[in-house]
Amino acid sequence: MTASRTRFDAHLTEEERHGLADDSLPPDRRADAESHMAECAECTGDVARLHALMTRVQQLPEGSAELDALWPEIRSRIERGKIAALGTEPAVRRSRSQWRLAGIVAGVAAALLVAFLLGRESRPRADDVVASGNGRTPVASVADSSRVYQEEVQSLLEEFELRRATMRPATTATVERDLRIIDGAIEELNDALARDPDNPALRQLLAASYRQKRDLLKQVDNAS
Amino acid sequence: MTLTHRAIARPSVTANDVSAPLADDVVRRAQQGDVDAFAVLYRAHAPAVHALARRMLGSDGAAREMVQDIFVRAWERLGSFRGESAFGTWLHRVGVNVILNQLRVARRDVHRFTEDEPDDGAAIAGPPDGGVEARIDLDAAIAKLPAGARTVFVLYDIEGYAHDEIAQMLGLAPGTVRAHLWRARRLLMRYLDA
Repeated sequence: MTASRTRFDAHLTEEERHGLADDSLPPDRRADAESHMAECAECTGDVARLHALMTRVQQLPEGSAELDALWPEIRSRIERGKIAALGTEPAVRRSRSQWRLAGIVAGVAAALLVAFLLGRESRPRADDVVASGNGRTPVASVADSSRVYQEEVQSLLEEFELRRATMRPATTATVERDLRIIDGAIEELNDALARDPDNPALRQLLAASYRQKRDLLKQVDNAS
Repeated sequence: MTLTHRAIARPSVTANDVSAPLADDVVRRAQQGDVDAFAVLYRAHAPAVHALARRMLGSDGAAREMVQDIFVRAWERLGSFRGESAFGTWLHRVGVNVILNQLRVARRDVHRFTEDEPDDGAAIAGPPDGGVEARIDLDAAIAKLPAGARTVFVLYDIEGYAHDEIAQMLGLAPGTVRAHLWRARRLLMRYLDA
Protein backbone atom coordinates (compact mmCIF):
# COMPACT_ATOMS: atom_id res chain seq x y z
CA MET A 1 0.00 0.00 0.00
CA THR A 2 2.76 2.43 0.83
CA ALA A 3 5.28 1.22 -1.74
CA SER A 4 7.47 4.11 -2.69
CA ARG A 5 8.67 4.58 -6.20
CA THR A 6 12.04 2.97 -6.73
CA ARG A 7 12.70 4.72 -10.00
CA PHE A 8 12.42 8.43 -10.43
CA ASP A 9 10.56 8.06 -13.68
CA ALA A 10 7.94 5.65 -12.31
CA HIS A 11 4.47 7.19 -12.15
CA LEU A 12 2.89 8.17 -8.87
CA THR A 13 1.05 5.45 -7.01
CA GLU A 14 -2.69 5.79 -6.43
CA GLU A 15 -1.98 6.53 -2.78
CA GLU A 16 0.41 9.33 -3.68
CA ARG A 17 -2.01 10.89 -6.13
CA HIS A 18 -4.87 10.95 -3.63
CA GLY A 19 -2.55 12.01 -0.84
CA LEU A 20 -1.33 14.98 -2.86
CA ALA A 21 -4.87 15.89 -3.87
CA ASP A 22 -6.28 15.93 -0.35
CA ASP A 23 -3.04 17.02 1.31
CA SER A 24 -2.69 13.91 3.44
CA LEU A 25 0.58 12.66 1.98
CA PRO A 26 3.28 12.68 4.68
CA PRO A 27 5.91 15.40 4.15
CA ASP A 28 8.75 12.91 3.77
CA ARG A 29 7.08 11.45 0.69
CA ARG A 30 5.72 14.67 -0.68
CA ALA A 31 9.04 16.06 -1.95
CA ASP A 32 9.77 12.97 -4.01
CA ALA A 33 6.24 12.93 -5.45
CA GLU A 34 6.36 16.60 -6.31
CA SER A 35 9.69 16.15 -8.03
CA HIS A 36 8.12 13.54 -10.22
CA MET A 37 5.13 15.71 -10.98
CA ALA A 38 7.39 18.51 -12.13
CA GLU A 39 8.37 16.33 -15.06
CA CYS A 40 5.23 14.21 -15.60
CA ALA A 41 2.23 15.87 -17.20
CA GLU A 42 0.12 12.75 -16.84
CA CYS A 43 0.47 12.51 -13.07
CA THR A 44 0.22 16.29 -12.68
CA GLY A 45 -3.03 16.35 -14.65
CA ASP A 46 -4.49 13.48 -12.68
CA VAL A 47 -3.65 15.03 -9.32
CA ALA A 48 -5.12 18.34 -10.50
CA ARG A 49 -8.39 16.62 -11.46
CA LEU A 50 -8.56 14.90 -8.09
CA HIS A 51 -7.81 18.19 -6.37
CA ALA A 52 -10.60 19.88 -8.33
CA LEU A 53 -12.97 17.20 -7.10
CA MET A 54 -11.85 17.80 -3.51
CA THR A 55 -12.52 21.49 -3.95
CA ARG A 56 -16.03 20.83 -5.21
CA VAL A 57 -16.70 18.44 -2.34
CA GLN A 58 -15.67 21.06 0.19
CA GLN A 59 -18.15 23.48 -1.34
CA LEU A 60 -21.08 21.13 -0.85
CA PRO A 61 -23.93 22.88 0.92
CA GLU A 62 -24.51 22.12 4.55
CA GLY A 63 -28.13 21.29 3.96
CA SER A 64 -31.15 23.50 3.62
CA ALA A 65 -34.05 21.12 3.22
CA GLU A 66 -37.38 22.18 4.71
CA LEU A 67 -37.78 19.70 7.54
CA ASP A 68 -40.33 21.27 9.89
CA ALA A 69 -42.91 18.79 8.68
CA LEU A 70 -40.94 15.95 10.26
CA TRP A 71 -41.02 17.38 13.77
CA PRO A 72 -44.57 16.41 14.79
CA GLU A 73 -43.85 12.74 14.15
CA ILE A 74 -40.54 12.95 16.01
CA ARG A 75 -42.28 14.64 18.93
CA SER A 76 -44.99 12.02 18.91
CA ARG A 77 -42.41 9.22 19.01
CA ILE A 78 -40.61 10.93 21.87
CA GLU A 79 -43.85 11.29 23.85
CA ARG A 80 -44.80 7.68 23.19
CA GLY A 81 -41.33 6.61 24.28
CA LYS A 82 -41.63 8.51 27.54
CA ILE A 83 -44.92 6.85 28.36
CA ALA A 84 -43.64 3.43 27.32
CA ALA A 85 -40.62 3.95 29.53
CA LEU A 86 -42.93 4.59 32.44
CA GLY A 87 -44.76 1.35 31.75
CA THR A 88 -41.82 -0.91 31.02
CA GLU A 89 -38.62 0.50 32.49
CA PRO A 90 -39.39 0.25 36.04
CA ALA A 91 -38.81 -3.23 37.00
CA VAL A 92 -36.65 -1.53 39.57
CA ARG A 93 -38.72 1.58 40.05
CA ARG A 94 -42.00 -0.29 40.19
CA SER A 95 -40.79 -2.80 42.71
CA ARG A 96 -39.36 0.02 44.79
CA SER A 97 -42.71 1.78 44.55
CA GLN A 98 -44.54 -1.38 45.53
CA TRP A 99 -42.32 -1.75 48.54
CA ARG A 100 -43.13 1.81 49.52
CA LEU A 101 -46.84 1.14 49.11
CA ALA A 102 -46.58 -2.06 51.07
CA GLY A 103 -44.78 -0.07 53.71
CA ILE A 104 -47.63 2.41 53.88
CA VAL A 105 -50.24 -0.32 54.24
CA ALA A 106 -48.22 -2.05 56.91
CA GLY A 107 -47.60 1.30 58.55
CA VAL A 108 -51.28 2.07 58.61
CA ALA A 109 -52.06 -1.24 60.27
CA ALA A 110 -49.33 -0.75 62.84
CA ALA A 111 -50.28 2.86 63.40
CA LEU A 112 -53.90 1.98 64.07
CA LEU A 113 -52.71 -0.27 66.85
CA VAL A 114 -50.00 1.99 68.21
CA ALA A 115 -52.07 5.13 67.88
CA PHE A 116 -54.71 3.82 70.20
CA LEU A 117 -52.08 2.83 72.73
CA LEU A 118 -49.89 5.91 72.57
CA GLY A 119 -51.86 8.52 70.69
CA ARG A 120 -53.50 10.10 73.65
CA GLU A 121 -50.20 10.32 75.51
CA SER A 122 -48.46 12.03 72.63
CA ARG A 123 -51.34 14.43 72.03
CA PRO A 124 -50.37 17.96 73.08
CA ARG A 125 -51.76 19.26 76.26
CA ALA A 126 -53.51 22.59 76.49
CA ASP A 127 -50.37 24.03 78.10
CA ASP A 128 -48.28 23.08 75.08
CA VAL A 129 -50.65 24.89 72.78
CA VAL A 130 -50.51 28.03 74.83
CA ALA A 131 -46.71 27.78 75.02
CA SER A 132 -46.44 27.61 71.25
CA GLY A 133 -47.66 31.18 71.07
CA ASN A 134 -49.27 30.94 67.67
CA GLY A 135 -52.41 29.19 68.63
CA ARG A 136 -51.72 26.36 66.19
CA THR A 137 -51.28 22.86 67.49
CA PRO A 138 -48.95 20.31 65.82
CA VAL A 139 -52.07 18.36 64.90
CA ALA A 140 -53.41 21.36 63.03
CA SER A 141 -50.08 21.75 61.18
CA VAL A 142 -50.14 18.19 60.01
CA ALA A 143 -53.76 18.61 58.95
CA ASP A 144 -52.67 21.61 56.89
CA SER A 145 -50.02 19.45 55.19
CA SER A 146 -52.68 16.94 54.28
CA ARG A 147 -54.83 19.69 52.81
CA VAL A 148 -51.93 21.02 50.72
CA TYR A 149 -51.15 17.54 49.44
CA GLN A 150 -54.84 16.95 48.75
CA GLU A 151 -55.05 20.05 46.61
CA GLU A 152 -51.98 19.07 44.65
CA VAL A 153 -53.31 15.56 44.25
CA GLN A 154 -56.60 16.86 42.90
CA SER A 155 -54.86 18.97 40.28
CA LEU A 156 -52.57 16.10 39.28
CA LEU A 157 -55.52 13.72 39.07
CA GLU A 158 -57.16 16.06 36.58
CA GLU A 159 -53.96 16.06 34.52
CA PHE A 160 -53.86 12.30 34.73
CA GLU A 161 -57.41 12.05 33.41
CA LEU A 162 -56.53 14.30 30.49
CA ARG A 163 -53.49 12.20 29.59
CA ARG A 164 -55.07 8.84 30.15
CA ALA A 165 -56.06 8.57 26.48
CA THR A 166 -52.47 8.88 25.32
CA MET A 167 -51.07 6.39 27.80
CA ARG A 168 -50.54 2.72 27.18
CA PRO A 169 -53.24 0.59 28.83
CA ALA A 170 -50.64 -1.35 30.81
CA THR A 171 -49.21 1.88 32.19
CA THR A 172 -52.63 3.19 33.11
CA ALA A 173 -53.46 -0.07 34.85
CA THR A 174 -50.25 0.08 36.88
CA VAL A 175 -50.87 3.64 37.95
CA GLU A 176 -54.50 2.92 38.86
CA ARG A 177 -53.52 -0.14 40.89
CA ASP A 178 -50.99 1.89 42.86
CA LEU A 179 -53.54 4.65 43.38
CA ARG A 180 -56.07 2.13 44.70
CA ILE A 181 -53.57 0.87 47.27
CA ILE A 182 -52.83 4.39 48.48
CA ASP A 183 -56.51 5.33 48.50
CA GLY A 184 -57.21 2.24 50.59
CA ALA A 185 -54.66 3.40 53.14
CA ILE A 186 -56.12 6.91 53.13
CA GLU A 187 -59.60 5.55 53.67
CA GLU A 188 -58.51 3.45 56.63
CA LEU A 189 -56.70 6.39 58.15
CA ASN A 190 -59.70 8.65 57.72
CA ASP A 191 -61.90 6.06 59.42
CA ALA A 192 -59.47 5.86 62.31
CA LEU A 193 -59.28 9.64 62.52
CA ALA A 194 -63.05 9.87 62.60
CA ARG A 195 -62.87 7.88 65.79
CA ASP A 196 -59.84 9.66 67.17
CA PRO A 197 -59.61 13.06 65.43
CA ASP A 198 -56.76 14.48 67.50
CA ASN A 199 -54.38 11.58 67.14
CA PRO A 200 -51.11 13.10 65.72
CA ALA A 201 -49.65 9.78 64.59
CA LEU A 202 -52.69 9.10 62.42
CA ARG A 203 -52.63 12.59 60.96
CA GLN A 204 -48.95 12.26 60.10
CA LEU A 205 -49.63 8.96 58.41
CA LEU A 206 -52.50 10.51 56.48
CA ALA A 207 -50.26 13.35 55.32
CA ALA A 208 -47.60 10.82 54.30
CA SER A 209 -50.20 8.88 52.30
CA TYR A 210 -51.31 11.99 50.44
CA ARG A 211 -47.69 12.85 49.78
CA GLN A 212 -47.17 9.37 48.39
CA LYS A 213 -50.16 9.81 46.12
CA ARG A 214 -48.90 13.19 44.96
CA ASP A 215 -45.44 11.78 44.22
CA LEU A 216 -46.89 8.95 42.17
CA LEU A 217 -49.02 11.34 40.11
CA LYS A 218 -46.09 13.69 39.63
CA GLN A 219 -44.04 10.79 38.35
CA VAL A 220 -46.75 10.09 35.77
CA ASP A 221 -47.01 13.78 34.91
CA ASN A 222 -43.27 14.14 34.39
CA ALA A 223 -43.04 11.05 32.27
CA SER A 224 -45.82 12.13 29.97
CA MET B 1 0.21 3.89 8.19
CA THR B 2 -2.00 6.41 9.80
CA LEU B 3 -2.89 9.38 7.72
CA THR B 4 -3.61 12.60 9.41
CA HIS B 5 -6.69 13.91 7.72
CA ARG B 6 -6.78 17.62 7.17
CA ALA B 7 -9.38 19.25 9.34
CA ILE B 8 -12.62 19.78 7.47
CA ALA B 9 -14.37 22.69 9.10
CA ARG B 10 -17.88 21.50 8.46
CA PRO B 11 -20.31 24.35 9.05
CA SER B 12 -22.80 21.79 10.26
CA VAL B 13 -20.70 21.12 13.30
CA THR B 14 -20.19 24.67 14.45
CA ALA B 15 -22.62 27.08 12.86
CA ASN B 16 -25.36 26.38 15.31
CA ASP B 17 -23.14 26.51 18.33
CA VAL B 18 -22.07 30.11 17.91
CA SER B 19 -24.05 31.47 20.82
CA ALA B 20 -22.69 28.84 23.13
CA PRO B 21 -24.25 29.96 26.42
CA LEU B 22 -27.71 30.05 24.86
CA ALA B 23 -27.17 26.71 23.16
CA ASP B 24 -25.88 25.21 26.39
CA ASP B 25 -29.01 26.32 28.17
CA VAL B 26 -31.25 24.81 25.50
CA VAL B 27 -29.34 21.53 25.64
CA ARG B 28 -29.57 21.49 29.43
CA ARG B 29 -33.31 22.05 29.32
CA ALA B 30 -33.70 19.29 26.77
CA GLN B 31 -31.67 16.97 28.97
CA GLN B 32 -34.11 17.71 31.78
CA GLY B 33 -36.97 16.46 29.60
CA ASP B 34 -38.10 19.69 27.95
CA VAL B 35 -39.35 18.61 24.53
CA ASP B 36 -39.84 22.22 23.42
CA ALA B 37 -36.14 22.86 24.03
CA PHE B 38 -35.36 19.77 21.99
CA ALA B 39 -37.52 21.22 19.20
CA VAL B 40 -35.19 24.23 19.15
CA LEU B 41 -32.22 21.89 18.75
CA TYR B 42 -34.07 20.05 16.00
CA ARG B 43 -34.70 23.21 14.01
CA ALA B 44 -31.06 24.24 14.35
CA HIS B 45 -29.49 20.94 13.40
CA ALA B 46 -31.98 19.04 11.24
CA PRO B 47 -30.73 20.40 7.88
CA ALA B 48 -27.17 19.25 8.57
CA VAL B 49 -28.35 15.87 9.82
CA HIS B 50 -30.54 15.50 6.76
CA ALA B 51 -27.62 16.34 4.45
CA LEU B 52 -25.51 13.71 6.19
CA ALA B 53 -28.24 11.08 5.87
CA ARG B 54 -29.04 11.93 2.27
CA ARG B 55 -25.42 11.63 1.22
CA MET B 56 -24.84 8.40 3.09
CA LEU B 57 -28.07 6.79 1.91
CA GLY B 58 -28.30 8.30 -1.55
CA SER B 59 -32.01 9.05 -1.27
CA ASP B 60 -33.98 11.99 0.04
CA GLY B 61 -36.93 9.85 1.13
CA ALA B 62 -34.76 7.45 3.11
CA ALA B 63 -32.88 10.41 4.56
CA ARG B 64 -36.08 12.00 5.87
CA GLU B 65 -37.04 8.79 7.64
CA MET B 66 -33.51 8.55 8.98
CA VAL B 67 -33.65 12.11 10.33
CA GLN B 68 -36.58 11.04 12.50
CA ASP B 69 -34.72 7.98 13.78
CA ILE B 70 -31.61 10.03 14.49
CA PHE B 71 -33.42 12.68 16.52
CA VAL B 72 -35.43 10.12 18.47
CA ARG B 73 -32.18 8.30 19.22
CA ALA B 74 -30.49 11.56 20.16
CA TRP B 75 -33.35 12.32 22.57
CA GLU B 76 -32.92 8.91 24.18
CA ARG B 77 -29.20 9.44 24.53
CA LEU B 78 -29.21 13.11 25.56
CA GLY B 79 -28.06 12.11 29.01
CA SER B 80 -24.78 10.87 27.57
CA PHE B 81 -23.94 14.30 26.12
CA ARG B 82 -21.43 15.81 28.55
CA GLY B 83 -20.62 18.97 26.66
CA GLU B 84 -17.10 17.80 25.88
CA SER B 85 -17.72 18.68 22.23
CA ALA B 86 -20.17 20.97 20.49
CA PHE B 87 -23.70 19.59 20.51
CA GLY B 88 -23.66 19.51 16.69
CA THR B 89 -20.55 17.33 16.71
CA TRP B 90 -22.10 14.93 19.19
CA LEU B 91 -25.33 14.83 17.20
CA HIS B 92 -23.42 14.12 14.00
CA ARG B 93 -21.73 11.19 15.65
CA VAL B 94 -25.07 9.85 16.87
CA GLY B 95 -26.36 10.28 13.31
CA VAL B 96 -23.49 8.37 11.76
CA ASN B 97 -23.95 5.53 14.24
CA VAL B 98 -27.70 5.31 13.62
CA ILE B 99 -27.20 5.32 9.86
CA LEU B 100 -24.49 2.66 9.96
CA ASN B 101 -26.65 0.48 12.21
CA GLN B 102 -29.58 0.86 9.87
CA LEU B 103 -27.42 -0.02 6.90
CA ARG B 104 -26.27 -3.15 8.65
CA VAL B 105 -29.81 -4.12 9.60
CA ALA B 106 -30.97 -3.51 6.05
CA ARG B 107 -28.23 -5.81 4.87
CA ARG B 108 -26.92 -3.11 2.63
CA ASP B 109 -23.53 -4.39 3.56
CA VAL B 110 -20.94 -1.67 3.30
CA HIS B 111 -18.26 -4.36 3.21
CA ARG B 112 -19.31 -5.70 -0.16
CA PHE B 113 -16.83 -3.68 -2.08
CA THR B 114 -16.20 -6.18 -4.82
CA GLU B 115 -19.85 -7.12 -5.33
CA ASP B 116 -20.99 -3.57 -5.21
CA GLU B 117 -20.63 -2.62 -8.83
CA PRO B 118 -21.54 0.91 -9.70
CA ASP B 119 -24.16 1.99 -12.11
CA ASP B 120 -22.29 2.65 -15.29
CA GLY B 121 -24.73 5.29 -16.41
CA ALA B 122 -24.12 8.52 -18.21
CA ALA B 123 -21.86 11.12 -16.75
CA ILE B 124 -23.48 13.75 -14.58
CA ALA B 125 -21.76 16.82 -15.83
CA GLY B 126 -22.03 20.12 -14.03
CA PRO B 127 -20.82 23.62 -14.69
CA PRO B 128 -17.13 23.86 -13.83
CA ASP B 129 -17.54 27.03 -11.79
CA GLY B 130 -18.63 25.19 -8.64
CA GLY B 131 -21.99 26.97 -8.56
CA VAL B 132 -25.25 25.73 -7.07
CA GLU B 133 -26.06 23.55 -10.05
CA ALA B 134 -22.65 21.92 -9.88
CA ARG B 135 -23.10 21.17 -6.20
CA ILE B 136 -26.49 19.62 -6.84
CA ASP B 137 -24.93 17.52 -9.59
CA LEU B 138 -22.19 16.44 -7.23
CA ASP B 139 -24.81 15.32 -4.71
CA ALA B 140 -26.56 13.36 -7.46
CA ALA B 141 -23.25 11.76 -8.41
CA ILE B 142 -22.56 10.83 -4.78
CA ALA B 143 -25.98 9.21 -4.62
CA LYS B 144 -24.99 7.01 -7.57
CA LEU B 145 -21.93 5.60 -5.83
CA PRO B 146 -21.99 2.00 -4.63
CA ALA B 147 -22.99 1.88 -0.96
CA GLY B 148 -19.59 0.88 0.39
CA ALA B 149 -17.66 3.48 -1.55
CA ARG B 150 -20.26 6.15 -0.82
CA THR B 151 -20.19 5.49 2.91
CA VAL B 152 -16.43 5.82 3.12
CA PHE B 153 -16.37 8.83 0.80
CA VAL B 154 -18.97 10.71 2.84
CA LEU B 155 -17.32 9.88 6.14
CA TYR B 156 -13.82 10.84 4.96
CA ASP B 157 -14.18 13.58 2.40
CA ILE B 158 -17.33 15.26 3.67
CA GLU B 159 -17.54 14.52 7.37
CA GLY B 160 -13.81 14.59 8.03
CA TYR B 161 -13.38 11.30 9.89
CA ALA B 162 -9.90 9.77 9.79
CA HIS B 163 -9.16 6.51 8.00
CA ASP B 164 -8.64 4.69 11.27
CA GLU B 165 -11.91 5.93 12.74
CA ILE B 166 -13.79 4.83 9.66
CA ALA B 167 -12.06 1.48 9.70
CA GLN B 168 -13.16 1.01 13.29
CA MET B 169 -16.74 2.11 12.62
CA LEU B 170 -17.13 -0.19 9.65
CA GLY B 171 -15.04 -3.08 10.91
CA LEU B 172 -12.73 -2.83 7.92
CA ALA B 173 -8.96 -2.77 7.52
CA PRO B 174 -7.62 0.77 7.00
CA GLY B 175 -6.28 -0.32 3.62
CA THR B 176 -9.75 -1.39 2.56
CA VAL B 177 -11.12 1.97 3.64
CA ARG B 178 -8.57 3.71 1.42
CA ALA B 179 -9.47 1.45 -1.48
CA HIS B 180 -13.16 2.38 -1.06
CA LEU B 181 -12.25 6.05 -0.94
CA TRP B 182 -10.06 6.01 -4.01
CA ARG B 183 -12.66 4.10 -5.93
CA ALA B 184 -15.38 6.53 -4.92
CA ARG B 185 -13.31 9.49 -6.10
CA ARG B 186 -12.51 7.83 -9.41
CA LEU B 187 -16.14 6.99 -9.98
CA LEU B 188 -17.21 10.53 -9.12
CA MET B 189 -14.71 11.92 -11.61
CA ARG B 190 -16.15 9.64 -14.21
CA TYR B 191 -19.76 10.50 -13.35
CA LEU B 192 -19.03 14.20 -13.38
CA ASP B 193 -16.78 13.93 -16.39
CA ALA B 194 -14.43 16.07 -14.41
